[in-house]
Amino acid sequence: MLSRVADALYWMARNGERTENNAHILQVQLVKMLEESGRESVNYQDWQTVIDICGSKSAYEEDYGELRVHKAVDYIAFSNGNSNALTNTLSYVRENARMTRDVIPNELWEVWNDLYLHSQNKGPHTEFSFQDIHSFLRHIKTTSMTSTGIIDSMMSRDLPYHFMKIGQWLERAEKTALIMKVMLQKAKFSDCQSFSEYDGQFALRLVNGYQDYSKKFRLKDPALILQFLISDRTFPRSIYYCIEHVKEVIWKIESEKVAHYSWRMYAALDELIASVEAVCVQQLSFEELEMFIADILNQCIEFGKIFSTTYYLIEADASR
Amino acid sequence: MFEPYKTGHYYDEMLQENGEPKEHYRQFHSVLQRLSEEEFKEKHETAQSSFLRQGITFTVYGEEGGTERTMPFDCVPIIIPADAWETIEKGMKQRVEALNLFLEDIYHDQHILNDGIIPRELVEQNPYYYKQVSGTQFPLKNHIFLAGIDLIRDEQGTYRVLEDNLRNPSGISYVFQNRFVMRQVYPEFFSRHSLCSLEDQITHLQSALLSHIPSNMKKHTEPRAVLLTAGMYNSAYYDHVFLAQQMNIALVEGRDLIVKDNVVYMKTIQGLKRVDIIYRRIDDDFLDPTAFREDSLLGVPGLIDAYKQGNVAILNAVGNGVADDKAMYTYVPDMIRYYLKEEPIIQNVETYILSDPKQREWVLEHLHELVVKNVGASGGYDMLIGPHASEEEIETFRSKILENPKQYIAQPTIKLSRAPVYQQGNFYPCHVDLRVFVMKGEETHVLPGGLSRVALKKGSLVVNSSQGGGGKDTWVLKGVMQHA
Repeated sequence: MLSRVADALYWMARNGERTENNAHILQVQLVKMLEESGRESVNYQDWQTVIDICGSKSAYEEDYGELRVHKAVDYIAFSNGNSNALTNTLSYVRENARMTRDVIPNELWEVWNDLYLHSQNKGPHTEFSFQDIHSFLRHIKTTSMTSTGIIDSMMSRDLPYHFMKIGQWLERAEKTALIMKVMLQKAKFSDCQSFSEYDGQFALRLVNGYQDYSKKFRLKDPALILQFLISDRTFPRSIYYCIEHVKEVIWKIESEKVAHYSWRMYAALDELIASVEAVCVQQLSFEELEMFIADILNQCIEFGKIFSTTYYLIEADASR
Repeated sequence: MFEPYKTGHYYDEMLQENGEPKEHYRQFHSVLQRLSEEEFKEKHETAQSSFLRQGITFTVYGEEGGTERTMPFDCVPIIIPADAWETIEKGMKQRVEALNLFLEDIYHDQHILNDGIIPRELVEQNPYYYKQVSGTQFPLKNHIFLAGIDLIRDEQGTYRVLEDNLRNPSGISYVFQNRFVMRQVYPEFFSRHSLCSLEDQITHLQSALLSHIPSNMKKHTEPRAVLLTAGMYNSAYYDHVFLAQQMNIALVEGRDLIVKDNVVYMKTIQGLKRVDIIYRRIDDDFLDPTAFREDSLLGVPGLIDAYKQGNVAILNAVGNGVADDKAMYTYVPDMIRYYLKEEPIIQNVETYILSDPKQREWVLEHLHELVVKNVGASGGYDMLIGPHASEEEIETFRSKILENPKQYIAQPTIKLSRAPVYQQGNFYPCHVDLRVFVMKGEETHVLPGGLSRVALKKGSLVVNSSQGGGGKDTWVLKGVMQHA
């Protein structure tokens, strides 16, 4: 497979996952906002958290100034200046799908192209109602799920499939880590200066793990929640689960061998898995926990670079 | 709901002068009349959105960069009876055969120039004549892997060649997609018709492609072929995707290839892999910045040297542009007589050469009746349609011709044949032409039918998709008509 094609497949999957995750996060916050109505300060903090997870607060302030709900939605969904805005990540998915049309199923291209064509009528700073935004978010969700279905039911388990899967798992792991990182930071400066039960539940909802967690545990204990998000063996959005799957896929790509060019990938993954497996959240101080999560996120990002170098994706990227 | 219209001075594909359908359109015509206005509208919309959803688009360049558009599709097919098609097929094979012999000749011994059949300067001063590849051993001695020959019909319904496209003719994917959409959306039209299928055409194309083995390739190995595209912003990108997918070859861009020691490789996740055959869809000028345009970002440095050494096949061959420009066109009948000792089966459109003082003088007096074309331009650009032009436009072309007579040719305004179209809820007649695709490897094969292009603007003569033209499905009937 061409390196350029591998690179495009990897980024298509990453941006697809990112679009779905950010749409989910925005959807969660839009509903939560209504439940918290009347508690302005809580609402204000939640929006700050969400903006930092889906973009950056300073970039937001530069473009929009004061925090307002309508503006925040615009920033997360449509802003040209926010490279992670839904319309932007969506057009990266489409662009990469278009570049690899000869290797992906036609249906996969069609579902994303369809969503993209629909999104084209909306621009930044234009009028939109909450009805519009909800239907856009729903459309993203169904597209993403359809896309997952097409990939799983139609694609052979060979190189294109593997590269897409790695992109998806890695993006998901990073997102779960990022959500925890941002929320821990916010908690530090909050009134109670700790990660509360309230924060834990919010984190679960943002990661889309509330339902699964509730089935497994009765207590909404903050430490237990973080432990779940980091190292649960079966929850498909925990960091452990995602990284373990990255390793499984690499193992398949490399026909279960370690070679002179691939050992660094294995080393980075093993280190990451070992630290995620070993951690016991309850035994860590707040500061240690904060550092641990930041370190895990960095290790994920570092692995992404090693992976890209190993398969010459960096080179393909540079000439883009 | 179809109402006959006046055919006027034009040859009509479907109707006779009395408004009755021609024999080979009779079945279709009766189905057409059974459909209601609502059904037509709905089907029309389904067809158009199907193209958009599948992303079967081309890029139009305007002030704000490129925008993607679909080629408007029209549901009334062009139907060609078996005997008429047989003549076209023979004529196309003959023409491509002669053009290929011409290309092989001028890049080697130049008999045709030495014998004075074609003026030497017309070849040697042609900007598309690439001396760089003279003497190269072209695989199979074939220069034309895929040709697109544009045919029109005159007032009498006689087919004539309007243009040869021997460089990178596009549109073959539309032939397949038009048929696909037509079968999906208008299945009732196909009843009681027996047409030549397109099913096995890709196999012909693929085997023609893979038969171009470069001379230094190891014996008894499978050649690795790729399709070289300029990328997703190229106007014909869909064509490239379609062909790569159908022929099962990698779709590569210039940056995916590298030349080392005169051997071409592609960059894969497992390192470099040797490439043997390149079906390129970028122009000669951009292929290799070390051989042609230095500023080309699309090309591969060193590609031409690898080609000349016999390490890689490039299709269509480099340097074909000299044979398909509008000035050389005039000489194609002479090529057929010279190389094949045959008379042309399908005639040219009469053409005036403006570097000839006598012809030029006559043309300048009759500009308002003629069509003037730039010999190097395509896509309907830099063209004067005399009867439709303003005085000002005519004067502009007069000075263009006087300034650079070699750059232009003139042709009589042909009353292009018309066929009905259904657009905006109405049927009306529009001008059509037909691009026929010829594939050549060890054997020559003509794709049955081709791309019928239609000038959808009422009265317009320009069928190019970049200027509002649309497409129609083209049916070649098998054998004798079946009656109900």
